[in-house]
Amino acid sequence: MVETAPIEVSQAMKAVVSLIPLLPLAGFLVTLLFGKRFFGRRADVVALLTVTASWVLSMYVFVHVFGHRGEPLDFNLFTWVTAGSLSVHWGYLVDTLTAVMLLVVGTIGMLVHYYSVGYMKGDEGYYRFFAYLNLFMFSMFVLILANNYLVMFLAWEAVGLCSYLLIAFWFRKKSASQAGKKAFLVNRVGDFGFTLGIFLIFTAFGSLQFADVFARAGELTTATAVWICLLLFMGAVGKSAQFPLHVWLPDAMEGPTPVSALIHAATMVNAGVYMVARSYPLFVHAEPAMIVVMCVGAFTAIYAAVIALTQNDIKRVIAYSTISSLGFMFMALGAGVWVAGIFYLLAHGFFKGLLFLDSGSVIHAMSGEQDMRHMGGLRRRLPVTFWTMLIGAVAMAGIPPLAGFWAKDEILAGAFHEGYWWVWIVGLVTAFLTAVYMFRLIFMTFWGESRASQEVQAHIHESPWIMTVPLIILSVPAALSGLLAGWPPDAGWIHRFLEPVFFDIEGEPFEWFGIGGLLILVSVAVVVVGVYAAYLMYVKRRELPARLAERFPRAYRASFNKLYMDEFYEVGVIRPVIGLAGWLWTFFDTKVVDGAVNGLAWLWGVFGSALRPLQTGRAQNYALGVFAGLFVFVIVVLVWGG
Amino acid sequence: MTGGVWYWILFGMCAAWVIVTGIGVVALRNIVHSAVSMVLCFLGVAFVFVLLNAELLAVIQILLYVGAISVVVLFAIMLTEPQHGRLGLFFNSQSVFALPLVVAAAVVFTLVALSAKLPPTGSESFSPSVADLSQTLFNEYVFPFELVSLVLLAAMVGAILMARKEDDDR
Amino acid sequence: MKPVDAYLILAILLFCIGAYGVLARRNVILVVMSLELMLNAVNIALAAFADFLAVGSPAGTYFVLFVITLAAAEVTVGLAIVVANYRNRRSVQTDDYSDLKG
Repeated sequence: MVETAPIEVSQAMKAVVSLIPLLPLAGFLVTLLFGKRFFGRRADVVALLTVTASWVLSMYVFVHVFGHRGEPLDFNLFTWVTAGSLSVHWGYLVDTLTAVMLLVVGTIGMLVHYYSVGYMKGDEGYYRFFAYLNLFMFSMFVLILANNYLVMFLAWEAVGLCSYLLIAFWFRKKSASQAGKKAFLVNRVGDFGFTLGIFLIFTAFGSLQFADVFARAGELTTATAVWICLLLFMGAVGKSAQFPLHVWLPDAMEGPTPVSALIHAATMVNAGVYMVARSYPLFVHAEPAMIVVMCVGAFTAIYAAVIALTQNDIKRVIAYSTISSLGFMFMALGAGVWVAGIFYLLAHGFFKGLLFLDSGSVIHAMSGEQDMRHMGGLRRRLPVTFWTMLIGAVAMAGIPPLAGFWAKDEILAGAFHEGYWWVWIVGLVTAFLTAVYMFRLIFMTFWGESRASQEVQAHIHESPWIMTVPLIILSVPAALSGLLAGWPPDAGWIHRFLEPVFFDIEGEPFEWFGIGGLLILVSVAVVVVGVYAAYLMYVKRRELPARLAERFPRAYRASFNKLYMDEFYEVGVIRPVIGLAGWLWTFFDTKVVDGAVNGLAWLWGVFGSALRPLQTGRAQNYALGVFAGLFVFVIVVLVWGG
Repeated sequence: MTGGVWYWILFGMCAAWVIVTGIGVVALRNIVHSAVSMVLCFLGVAFVFVLLNAELLAVIQILLYVGAISVVVLFAIMLTEPQHGRLGLFFNSQSVFALPLVVAAAVVFTLVALSAKLPPTGSESFSPSVADLSQTLFNEYVFPFELVSLVLLAAMVGAILMARKEDDDR
Repeated sequence: MKPVDAYLILAILLFCIGAYGVLARRNVILVVMSLELMLNAVNIALAAFADFLAVGSPAGTYFVLFVITLAAAEVTVGLAIVVANYRNRRSVQTDDYSDLKG
C-alpha cells in the first residue's frame, strides 16, 4: 500500500485537528442564535474569529504534515453508529492530500469571510450570511478530514445544504430560491449514485473506514471495483457540476458573489474531485471507470468552454469556466495524472476564487450591474480590481509563468504520454477557447468606452479596502503557486509532497528539449492565439462578434442557450415526473388510498349497526347477559377447573 | 340443637315455607300480594336462622327485614301505580330465556356445592352467647361497624334528598 | 350429604328464584323485592357456614349482620330513586326505562 501504517496520534494533535471544524460550528451556532440581537451590525465578529483561528490551525497542521510526510494521522473521536456488523466512527484522517485541501479551503474560506464584510454590508440578513458561511466551513472541513465514507457523505450532504441556503440567501427573489432548489435537487441525483456506491463498498468490505477499505482494495473483482467507482463518480458528477448534472451551477450565480467564490469555485465543487482522488486505491483497480471519468471530464471541459463564449453575464462566464476547469481536473484523474489534477485544484482554487471576488468588486462598483454589454472602460477607474483580475485571467488562461499554466500543461502532457491522443486535442481546443472567453471578459469589462448609463457611471468607485485586500492577497498565490509548487515539471515540490498518497505514473523524465518542451510550446502557442483572437474581436474590430454570429446563427444560438440542456431536462424529465405525480394523485391517491381508508370506516359503521340492537337500554336485558355469563363461567370452572 | 329426626322435619317445613313464599314473590300477579309473600318469606328465613343456632340473627332479621324493609317496600308500592295487564308474567321475552337459565343455574350451582371440598365440620355446633358476640363486634369489628353507620347516614340523607318533592319557588 | 349441604341447596334455590324475579318481572319494585330474596339466600348460606364449619369464631354471623344492614340501606336508596323516577315518568315498568337505548 502506498501509505505507511498510521502512528499513534498525540492528544494535542487530536485536539488541534478536531478544533478545525469545531470552531466554525460553534461560530455558526453563536451567530445564528445571538447574531441578530446581540451583535447587530457586527454579527460577523464571531464568524471571522472562528474562521481565522481555523486557518491558523490548518496552517499548523500543514506544517506538521510537511515535516512528517509518510506518517498520516488517523484517529477516531467517538463511535457514531453501531448497527449489526456495521460500526462507524467519527474520525479524522490527515495525510498530505488532506493538507493540500486544508490549505485551499482554509485560506480561501478565511479571505472570503473578510471580503464579505464589505460586500454584504447593510444587508438585512447579515448575521444569517455569516452563520451559514461558518456552517459551510464546518461541513467542508469535516468532508476533507473524514476518515470514512459515511462521515464524508454526511459532510457532503451538509455542504449541499449550505449551498442551498446560501444560493437562496435572498430568498424573496423568486429566481434565487428556485436556483437553490435546483442546486439541491440536481445534487441529490448524484448523491443517489454516491449512496449506492457506499452500500456496495460496505457489502464488499464490511467496513466504511478508509484505512480498511483501501488496504484491501486489491481483493475486489474488477467488475465490483468498476461499479463502485462509477457510482461514486456519479456523486462527484453532481457535486462538481459535470455533464449532465452541471445545470445547477450557472443558476447558482443567483447567490451573493462571495458565495460563488467560496462554494462554487474554490471549495465545494472541489469536493467531488477530492472524493475521487481520495478513492484512488479503488479507482486504480477499475480502469474502465477511470476512462469514463476522463471522458466525462474532457467532454464537460469543452462543452462548458463553448457555452462560455457567448454568455453576457460576467458571473456566468466565470461559472462556466469553473465547470470547464473541473472537467479538466477529472480529465487528469481519469488519465492517471493524479498529482497534476490536485495541483490544478490547488492553483484553480486561488485564481478562480480571485476571479469571482474580482467580479464581485466590479458588480459592486457598477451598482449591481452584471451584464458585460453595459460595462467597459473600467480599467482606469478600478485599478486594483483590474490588475488583480488580469492576473487571475492570465492564470486561468494558462499563460506561463503563472499558476494555471504549469498545472494545465502537466495534465495535457500526461494525457499525451498515456496515449490518449484525442483527449489531448480536446484539452488543447478547450485551452484555446478558455483564453478566448477569458480575455473577452477582460476586454469587454475593462477596455474601451463605458457603455453604462450616466447614473451608474457616476457611482463607479473602487471597492473598500476590506474587499480589495483579500483580492491582493489572493493574487499572490494565483500568480505564483504554479511556480512554487510545480517547478520543475513532474518533479516539483507538490509531486514529492503527494507521493505518499498517489503512486503517480512513471512517465519519462521531463526533457526541456524533447517531447516535453515541444508540448509546452504547442500549449503556449494555442493560448497566445486565443488571446490575440479575443483582442481582435473585442478591441480592434468590435463588429466581428456580431458578424460571426450572423454567419453561424445556429451555432451562436446553441452556445448562447447552453446547448439547450435545461430545455431538455424540462421536457424529458420534469414534465413526465409531474405528469406521473398528477396521475398518481387523481387515480391512486383519491381512489385507492382514500377508498381504503373510507372503506375501512364504512366497514366499522356496518359492524356498529349490526351490534346496535344489543344496546336496548334496558337493565334487565343486561342483567340477563351477566347472569348467563356467570353461569357459563361456573360451568367452565366445574368442568375444566380445579 | 343436634341433628335428629325432629330437627330435619323442622328443617323440611321451614325450607318448604321459604321456597313456597319465595315463588309467591316472583309469580304473583298483584304486587301487594307479592309484598305480603315477601314478608312471610322473611319470617321463614328467621326460623331458618333459629335452626342454625343464630338466635341473634333471627331477631335482627325480624326487626330489620320484616319490620323496616318490608315497610319501605310497601310505602313504595303505595306511592306508585303499576300499570295493569300490559305484559305477560311468564312467557314475556325475558322469561323465555330467564326461566330455563335459572333452572339450569340452580342445577349447576347445586353440583358445585355438592362437589366442593369444604373444611371439616365440627362435631358440636358452636353457639356463642349474645354477650360474646357483642364483645367481638365492638372490639375486632368496630371499624366495619363504624363504616356501616356512615353508609346508613349517607343512605338516609340520599333517600330523603331524592324522594322529596321539588319546590318550585326555590 | 352433610347437613350443611341441605342448607346450601336451600340457599341456592332461593337465590335462583330471586334471580328469576330480577330477570323476568316487569315491575321495578318487584325487581327490588326479588333482589332482597337473593340477599336472604346469601344470608342463609353464610349462617349455615357459621354454624357448621369448625372455625374459631362465628365470622359468618357478623357477615350476615352487615349484609342485612347494608341491604336495608340499599333498599331505602333504591326505592327512593324509583319513587323519584315515577314522578317524572309516571311508570314503574322496566320497559319504559330505556333512555340509554342505542
